[in-house]
Amino acid sequence: MAPSKIKQEEAALPPQEVYYLKETPTPLTPEPFYTNYHQGVPIALDIGASSFKVGLTNANEPNNVFPSVLARYRYRKKPVTVTIVGNDVYRDPLLKTSIKSPFDGPLLTNWDYVESMLDYTFEHLGVTSNNGKLNNPIIMTEPVGCPLSQRTNMYELLFEAYQAPKVTFGIDSLFAFHANSKPNSDGLVIGTGHELTHVIPVVGGKGILLQTKRIDWGGNLSQQFLARLLGMKYPYFPSKITSDHTTNMFKDFCYILENYSDQLKGFLDMPNLEQNDVVIQAPVDLSLHTVKKKSEEELAKQLQRKKEQGRRLQEQQQQKRLEKKIQKQEELDYYSKLRDEIATISKQEQLDRVVDEGFEDLGEFNKYVKNLEKTLKSKDDDEDEGPVDPATAWPLVDIPDDQLNDEQIKEKRKQKLLKGNYDARERNKEIQRQEEEAKLQREKEEIEWRERDLEDWSNSKRLKVAELIGKHTEKVKLLESFKDRKSMAAQQRMKNITDLANDQSVGASGNASNRKRRRAAASIDNDPTDTFGANDDDWGVYREITNSSLEEDLDQISKQIVAIEEDLLNYDPSFHHEDTFSASQTFDWQNLVLHKFVHGPRPNLNLALQTEGIPAEEIANHPEIILKNHQMHLNIERIRVPEVLFQPHTAGLDQAGIIELLSDLLWKRLDGNFNPGGQAYNLIQNILITGGLANLKNFDKRVQTELTGVLPVGAPLKVRTAKNPITDAWKGMQKWSQDEESKHSYVSKAEYEEYGPEYIKEHGLGNVCLR
Amino acid sequence: MSQTPETQSIDLQDLSVITTRPHTFKQNLHRVPPPRRYKTSKQLFTDEQKYLQTKDIKFDTPTWQSIGAPPSLKPNKHYCDITGLEGRYKNPSNGLRFHNVEIYQEVIRNMPPGVDQEYLKLRGANVVLK
Repeated sequence: MAPSKIKQEEAALPPQEVYYLKETPTPLTPEPFYTNYHQGVPIALDIGASSFKVGLTNANEPNNVFPSVLARYRYRKKPVTVTIVGNDVYRDPLLKTSIKSPFDGPLLTNWDYVESMLDYTFEHLGVTSNNGKLNNPIIMTEPVGCPLSQRTNMYELLFEAYQAPKVTFGIDSLFAFHANSKPNSDGLVIGTGHELTHVIPVVGGKGILLQTKRIDWGGNLSQQFLARLLGMKYPYFPSKITSDHTTNMFKDFCYILENYSDQLKGFLDMPNLEQNDVVIQAPVDLSLHTVKKKSEEELAKQLQRKKEQGRRLQEQQQQKRLEKKIQKQEELDYYSKLRDEIATISKQEQLDRVVDEGFEDLGEFNKYVKNLEKTLKSKDDDEDEGPVDPATAWPLVDIPDDQLNDEQIKEKRKQKLLKGNYDARERNKEIQRQEEEAKLQREKEEIEWRERDLEDWSNSKRLKVAELIGKHTEKVKLLESFKDRKSMAAQQRMKNITDLANDQSVGASGNASNRKRRRAAASIDNDPTDTFGANDDDWGVYREITNSSLEEDLDQISKQIVAIEEDLLNYDPSFHHEDTFSASQTFDWQNLVLHKFVHGPRPNLNLALQTEGIPAEEIANHPEIILKNHQMHLNIERIRVPEVLFQPHTAGLDQAGIIELLSDLLWKRLDGNFNPGGQAYNLIQNILITGGLANLKNFDKRVQTELTGVLPVGAPLKVRTAKNPITDAWKGMQKWSQDEESKHSYVSKAEYEEYGPEYIKEHGLGNVCLR
Repeated sequence: MSQTPETQSIDLQDLSVITTRPHTFKQNLHRVPPPRRYKTSKQLFTDEQKYLQTKDIKFDTPTWQSIGAPPSLKPNKHYCDITGLEGRYKNPSNGLRFHNVEIYQEVIRNMPPGVDQEYLKLRGANVVLK
């Protein structure tokens, strides 16, 4: 920006695009029922912590994909409990608060819910039976290294409740790899889930579970992390942010940076922030907040009314005074007439008349009349007071005392006093006039100085400003240090306070009786020498030592600075608005990291309205401000949350990140041979990212770039994302169900009954037995 | 809420019946449902650990515990606890990392008691009193 003489208005930026808080919408179509059901066809169930993907394997797509949630709701009026599963829970706002998941963390924990959800699943797959049993083989997913209790419960449910003929379990990420690769290929799967993320090497189409590693982080934890970050960023956010909201925010706006440390540096800088910042608007009902504003007309009317009232009051007062005066005049007339009348009669008769009128004796009567005369006279005097002529107003002052009688001497004394007053006034006026003249003279000199040697003038002015600024900052510092109880200045101040208090209380309680009492009983709680507060005036100490004088000084200094700077602005061509003290003090939001972090790439509206002089109350009710208060800015969170996968320590997880796991796996735990024919050489050519987080933008690019840095030059690295990260696991199950391998991987009901829940048949895409 | 008339007409009780009605494929009259005591994931993991100890398993058997990712061996990068930007500095009194002097002056110095621990909790560095 070029320097300018006047304060520049900031170029108005266009308003940012606003996104509304998103909730899971009401499903438009009812959950579909499968029409091509046949007994004996394997049913594939991918039961993820985030969603169930289920279908018969005679189709190419899962028939139903629904969130793994369930809601039980009990109607109050008619005692009926409804059990709603999957997408249907979003059909009625009634259910919102009772939505539950059968999962706790990565494991199934609530088996009643699981059973309900399986009932729902099989009904939607069109399962019918004529023998009371489920006559289809089951292919199901389970976590890597599945705990026994989990499998026991699932076996029990499938074999006892549904009486399925045979069941097999597998790992979702490996099924997804199977769907995305040629048979018997080598590769690596990065399987991201709702709660867990796995890195699994695959050799010859078989998962190597021994070399598998798991990071305890996934989509749900990311969502929770985002919610916590936002809670810290906007601690007083007026509306409630649910996990549904944050899940959608995470899905819609979070992404992965290809090069985190480099791109993070300029992330909040101005041109970048424009696209990095996302505004989320929480719903707000403006009509609730708007208070009816008084119009200009109404305000004028109000003022008029006030004035009218004042005037009327004054009139009344005047009227009253006049009435009183008239009354007094009448009284005086009456009594003076009485006085004239009784002047001629005898003393006794005079007394009688006076007593009849209500006086005690003649003296009182005379006094009363005299007072009446006096008050009326003084009132008359008040009214006529013109300008005084000093030559003639006090004629007696210059005449010596011996030429005057007593009365005149008294009068002279009075006149002397008046003259003294008058002279003093005149003297003050004279001094003022001289000061004004001197000021004009100074200004004239300054103008001359300026015209003669502008450089010298401006230099000395600038020096003066610098000196004042120094003083200003010193005072500000002092004021600031009072806030800290432990600072030197504050301690000194406390000392002064105690000294003052001591002085006063000793002075107040210095008499003998107090001293006697002091000796009588002295304890820490009841120290008789400490009488502070007994007298209300003691508290005045605090009034004496407030910092208001410091604030006044600050005010004065800044006024002086502004005055000098105004001169400089007017006459010094090299002094610009940007150089002024106030410009250096003003809030330039573009340079403030915190502002950009919290308020995004737009100026603070609140401050702008304040500088316009709009009262605080009105600002609080300003519709724009209310909208702003219900807004959140997502910027760093967008990249910070997914980054946890690569740097788990940023979320307090003491585990290695994906890249470290991969490089450790390739270099140390596998053969580390990146030449043709090597194991690592084969694996790096087929790295697959699957699961919900694979939808994050740039995930594959990030893995590609970072791994390239770790691997030898020219290693044939190839990273790709699953075609459809959510349903590919199910498709892999469907594909696998057609394979020969699957045919002998099922555990039949008879085998289960014989060998118990620990028994599984190992296959390339499943867990392994304990050895 | 914008609801199409079609979705509004769906009755929750009708939906519920799909799940709760007697199923043709689930008619095991002899079944005695096992006693199901609710256990959290954490409890299940400790149970699993105990179970594995009773088995004499080989060192290279993949189990839930053994496949957990090991701690990172690389030095952790530091990030500002408040903004998430690069965290070059550390407040010696509570260990909060911050990006620049502005964050320190505006946020950390005026932090109400307890909030610093909340920030540290985000990266698991808070003080836990036992």
